[in-house]
Amino acid sequence: MAARDQHGSEAPGDQGFRVVGKENRKVDGLAKATGEAIYTDDIMLPGMLHAKMLRSPHAHARVLSVDTSKAEALEGVVGVLVGAELPIRYGVIPWTPDENALATDKVRFIGDEVAAVAAVDEDTALEALDLIEVEYEILEAILDPQKALVTPEPAIHEGRKRRDNISKHVDLEFGDVDAQLEGADIVLEEDYSFHSTTHAPMEPHCAVAQPNSNGRLTLWSSTQITHYVHRALSRVLELDPARIRVIQPCLGGGFGGKSDPFSLEFVVAKLALKTGRPVKMLWTREEVFYAHRGRHPMQMHYRTTAKKDGTITSVDAKLLIDGGSYSSFGLVTTYYSGQLLTGPYNFPNYRFDSTRVFTNKPPNGPKRGHGSVQPRFAFEVQLDEIANRLGIDPIEIRRRNFIGADTETVNGQRISSNGFMQCLDEVEDASDWKARHGKLPHGRGLGVAGSMYISGTNYPVYPNKMPQAGVQLKIDRSGLVTVFTGGNDIGQGSNSMVAYLVAEELGLLPTSIHVVSADTDLCPVDLGAYSSRVTFMVGNAAIDGARKLRKQIIEAVAKHWEVEARDVRLMDGTVIDLSEAARSMTHVEAFHLAEELFDTLGSTGAYNTPELGGDYRGGTIGASPAYSFTAHAAEVEVDTETGRITVLKVWAAHDCGRALNPIIVRGQIEGSTYMGAAEVVLENHDLNRFGLHSGPSLLDYRIPTSLDAPDLEARIVESIDPEGPYGAKEAGEGPLHSTIPAIANAVFDAVGIRLRHLPFTPAKVLKALRELEEQN
Amino acid sequence: MRVFRLQVNGDTVEVAAPEHWTLLEVLRYKIGLTGSKQGCDKGDCGACTVLLDGVPTLACLSLAATVETSAITTIEGLLPAHRANGGEGADPVQDAFDRCGALQCGFCQPGMILSAKALLAKNPNPTSQEIKQSLSGNLCRCTGYTQIYEAVVLAAKGEQV
Amino acid sequence: MLRLPKFEVKNPSTVEEAIAMMHAIDGEARFLAGGTDLNPNMKHRLFTPERVVALGGIEEMFGITQQEDGSMRIGAMATLANVASHAELGLAYPALSQAALLVSGPQLRNMGTLGGNVMLDTRCQWYNQTYFWRSALGFCMKKDGTKCHVIEGGSKCVAAASNDTAPALMTLGAELEFANATGRTRMPIADLWQADGIWNKKVAHTELLVAIHLPKPSADQRGAYGKLRDRGSIDFPLFGIAIRLDLDAQGTIFDAALCAVALQARPWPLKKAAALLCGTKPGEESFTEAVEQVAALAAKQCRPMPNIPGDHEYRHAMVSVYTKRALLAAANGDGPVHHV
Ligand SMILES: Cc1cc2nc3c(=O)[nH]c(=O)nc-3n(C[C@H](O)[C@H](O)[C@H](O)COP(=O)(O)OP(=O)(O)OC[C@H]3O[C@@H](n4cnc5c(N)ncnc54)[C@H](O)[C@@H]3O)c2cc1C
Ligand code: SF4
Ligand code: FES
Ligand code: FES
Repeated sequence: MAARDQHGSEAPGDQGFRVVGKENRKVDGLAKATGEAIYTDDIMLPGMLHAKMLRSPHAHARVLSVDTSKAEALEGVVGVLVGAELPIRYGVIPWTPDENALATDKVRFIGDEVAAVAAVDEDTALEALDLIEVEYEILEAILDPQKALVTPEPAIHEGRKRRDNISKHVDLEFGDVDAQLEGADIVLEEDYSFHSTTHAPMEPHCAVAQPNSNGRLTLWSSTQITHYVHRALSRVLELDPARIRVIQPCLGGGFGGKSDPFSLEFVVAKLALKTGRPVKMLWTREEVFYAHRGRHPMQMHYRTTAKKDGTITSVDAKLLIDGGSYSSFGLVTTYYSGQLLTGPYNFPNYRFDSTRVFTNKPPNGPKRGHGSVQPRFAFEVQLDEIANRLGIDPIEIRRRNFIGADTETVNGQRISSNGFMQCLDEVEDASDWKARHGKLPHGRGLGVAGSMYISGTNYPVYPNKMPQAGVQLKIDRSGLVTVFTGGNDIGQGSNSMVAYLVAEELGLLPTSIHVVSADTDLCPVDLGAYSSRVTFMVGNAAIDGARKLRKQIIEAVAKHWEVEARDVRLMDGTVIDLSEAARSMTHVEAFHLAEELFDTLGSTGAYNTPELGGDYRGGTIGASPAYSFTAHAAEVEVDTETGRITVLKVWAAHDCGRALNPIIVRGQIEGSTYMGAAEVVLENHDLNRFGLHSGPSLLDYRIPTSLDAPDLEARIVESIDPEGPYGAKEAGEGPLHSTIPAIANAVFDAVGIRLRHLPFTPAKVLKALRELEEQN
Repeated sequence: MRVFRLQVNGDTVEVAAPEHWTLLEVLRYKIGLTGSKQGCDKGDCGACTVLLDGVPTLACLSLAATVETSAITTIEGLLPAHRANGGEGADPVQDAFDRCGALQCGFCQPGMILSAKALLAKNPNPTSQEIKQSLSGNLCRCTGYTQIYEAVVLAAKGEQV
Repeated sequence: MLRLPKFEVKNPSTVEEAIAMMHAIDGEARFLAGGTDLNPNMKHRLFTPERVVALGGIEEMFGITQQEDGSMRIGAMATLANVASHAELGLAYPALSQAALLVSGPQLRNMGTLGGNVMLDTRCQWYNQTYFWRSALGFCMKKDGTKCHVIEGGSKCVAAASNDTAPALMTLGAELEFANATGRTRMPIADLWQADGIWNKKVAHTELLVAIHLPKPSADQRGAYGKLRDRGSIDFPLFGIAIRLDLDAQGTIFDAALCAVALQARPWPLKKAAALLCGTKPGEESFTEAVEQVAALAAKQCRPMPNIPGDHEYRHAMVSVYTKRALLAAANGDGPVHHV
């Protein structure tokens, strides 16, 4: 078992990196650029039916009856499905299964699913939905999380151990927080809030199910978590998992919005089994807004104590988390909201008390920077304020509190590599901070913030000791190497990453590698694209598998040439003899020699995290084999007449360990930063007074156009992690976090107002400016 | 049902579809050209952008019944047209998008690339402001746009050679 | 996908044919120009015509041509992109070309027509939603329901005129050429509107707008358009204001017009405010002072309501800011006023 083997961060041969670190093309770039790439909705099967979902118009109601007889009688309708046919509950976290594909007893938000119809076309399915009669008993809807906290009745979820509307409560203390109050040079205590935002991937959710005549079922779905969908399907359909195949086709973006099992997956599967025909369901954009699982709104109270020199002595946090109507990843969210704040600064004493409540809203879940973006915003603004009060430069205060590398956080998390100081240096330099911070004309300002994030955690969603990531390699006599990985490429480029690593190990060009991914029939299990785990875990597994083949190939060639193994160099598709004989052969010839010697060539590779985390309940949640670090500097302009904040430029320096492909890393940094900036000034996943989403469209939910995105400058910092694949860590979520507080802090520098409640609408800015004027 | 006679990527295609279908539906579900994407189906995102006589147009808001007289170019049309002109590989704009890492999830990109293509056809040397303006009807959720701008600039350079 | 209702499509090639096709059906028919408003509205089931009369084949309705008397004729099917990029239009009628340039995003300007923009349906956050959404709400008076959610207990729909070019055309004194079953008529655009958000026009939906005529501008006519919106592209106006200033040979303003949009059912001309500008001279104190007065008066005359998305109190606060900026931009010739 090689799962926990360390491969080291150096290049496999003596020739340095030939593939890694280079600006290689992605394995699927041209397929996407030419329209050849197949996404789920591009799949058309003979005889395929189209399904549509009936949704609840009520925010909270008991479903008394569902009468589908008229719908069934409509010509063209082939299958109708109601909740009673899929009574088994599911949920991505096995401890909190509280979702039904279609309502069995209650509906819990406007848009909750009630019934489904499969018909010859979408028009007919829609017509049939109108004919379904549902009788509801309307219940009081709870929309305000404060109210949910204190109102046990009506319980949005009944029959739980807890008879209230609290989804999860975590209260942890490390050190003695209250003892730091006495004698503290400064105590700062403030309220902050983070509003609701959503992922809005450009591709709406879609699933296609095909019943196979041999009793098997194939599901294509726009999911980030093929493996969990596979498990959930088996559970809900009560079907042997060996009879289910789940495939993720090309995915049009996820950002965490496709990391739960979704109702449409169960519905098309069940309808396919029922009708014996392939069934597709494509959600409209509006339905994607109802599926949501976006960023949890949080009301946060922070109290930080520090010494005169800026050294933090304690941090105390109390958080109220609006969970929306279902658990989703909520258990993890609640832990992450506290656990992930304990770097890059040293907190000698720390306490957090986080409560997630249920409300009658679309469910919240993991959005890029799951659980930790909100606390990071609050804390980094608080730290900025402390710096300001103490007269310390905001970058300097962050340096002074730096936790260091190869250390442990107050809550028992192991920090290995840590390039945060260099990140700070980079943004200080790039933004010309020293010459400009605090010195720009009124209306213009610079702000800074820092953050850290996980590269996966050692908490698999369901407890097991099997590898968290596996790959399988197969060598063809043609010279093509096929890699099978359960990893989900959601656009972040994980398939390309696998190709680069295998090419590096085997001394090939990336074009000699074919990656097959996210197909449960073909690929070994990987847990999925969430918690920024794929590069670290699948990457390590890929190196693990490839290294075994590398050994065999070298051995076969060395034997053939009658030289030492160390004289055989694999490079760029050629095998070179470094001994005096100075010969070479193609990699294809080498593969043939190896196949002669070892029989059919193939290998497996796996990765599992080492034992990590604090020795307390929940101590492994958020415990990562490696943490990434980021610093952002933002420059804003505030129009004091209109209140509009324009984010002119954001410099983002991110420590990703080793950049396996700098272009892809840059894309992740820029994409994260842009998304964060939009959460500050534009986006709001808002419900109106009726509990209805106020604008479930890409017109009213304002994601930035090219004219709204700030100028972005990404700087890559490479701290080379000892356990990462060739030293790599995550880059997909970390670089979102500190964008938000950096902008908030820049607004303070620009016009002297402290904004603590997101989003920063122009109206809020104007109000704060007026208040400031009155004060002066 | 109505038989539409469409000129798609240089081919004349006769296809029967319900009369109220949009061009996007007919392209994707009747002709099988699934490169044009659907992100909102009501004009808000630009994923469905195709060229009608060279002009970027939203296929989700165009009725198939109103585009029979136009030459339609979808993303699938670029590479073959490039080859027909004696080119190698993909169309230079597609190639530049790939080289610059502009294709993350790729879902916005058929529309984005066609908008870029139309821009460069009209204005082979666009300023960065012109690039931003021309692409401002194509939402991308992955890239933050920077690598897309770089791709357009690279393609512009390439096309001058 | 978001389904369109079922309908048949007619493709007339003359105005007369189009009118005939509009009437030769018992049920409802609708004209379709660029379709950028009608199609989303049909997908939302705000309109469910049995027939769509597509105007793309009517040659007479295209083209932008200067007439012998110096006026300009813009075919109703001229796209917003045509209008925005037309050099002479830009020089003679800056407010119109700026407004056209700020409509939505590039593709929608390539598709959307000036005629369609004039005839645009009014907008409301409780109305421009899908059938499901509106059913969850319990509908509203404008469509399928009885209540108004903007003015509780209100008896009149106050959905907002949201067409960017309408206020510009208003300040320019445009004339609209309609065709209907009885022939052709011309009416000043100011006479088109009525204060009813359900249907804010005095012509029926069966009447065809053939062309828009713009009178010859005065020797030194200036103008600008200011548009408040959240994003730099795609979004409808949260507030829009068009300005026309006519200056005499001495540089003194002798005539002016202001018109706002995205407030209530009609585009909103600000006549009293415009009067304050007459006799003042850009570049001199008199003008600067008048600008402040006009901005203050505009804020009194324009009362944004919570009909379209966005904080209406904030929209109100922006009336004077955008009015002021647009006036200065008109005088200086450096419009439009837009945040990007
Ligand atoms: C995402 C999005 C953003 C938008 N943003 C803006 C914006 O910022 N500003 C703005 O002003 N508009 C905006 N629009 C609306 C629309 O694109 C424009 O108003 C456009 O000008 C409408 O013209 P059209 O030709 O597409 O009209 P159509 O949709 O074809 O028609 C609109 C209405 O006018 C009628 N009609 C059209 N032509 C005639 C005619 N010649 N005679 C009689 N009746 C006619 C139709 O029957 C229909 O009722 C936006 C639309 C979308 C989808
Ligand atoms: S103002 Fe809005 S809510 Fe009121 S009737 Fe009109 S469309 Fe409906
Ligand atoms: S799918 Fe056409 S604009 Fe979004
Ligand atoms: S690449 Fe994913 S939306 Fe643009």
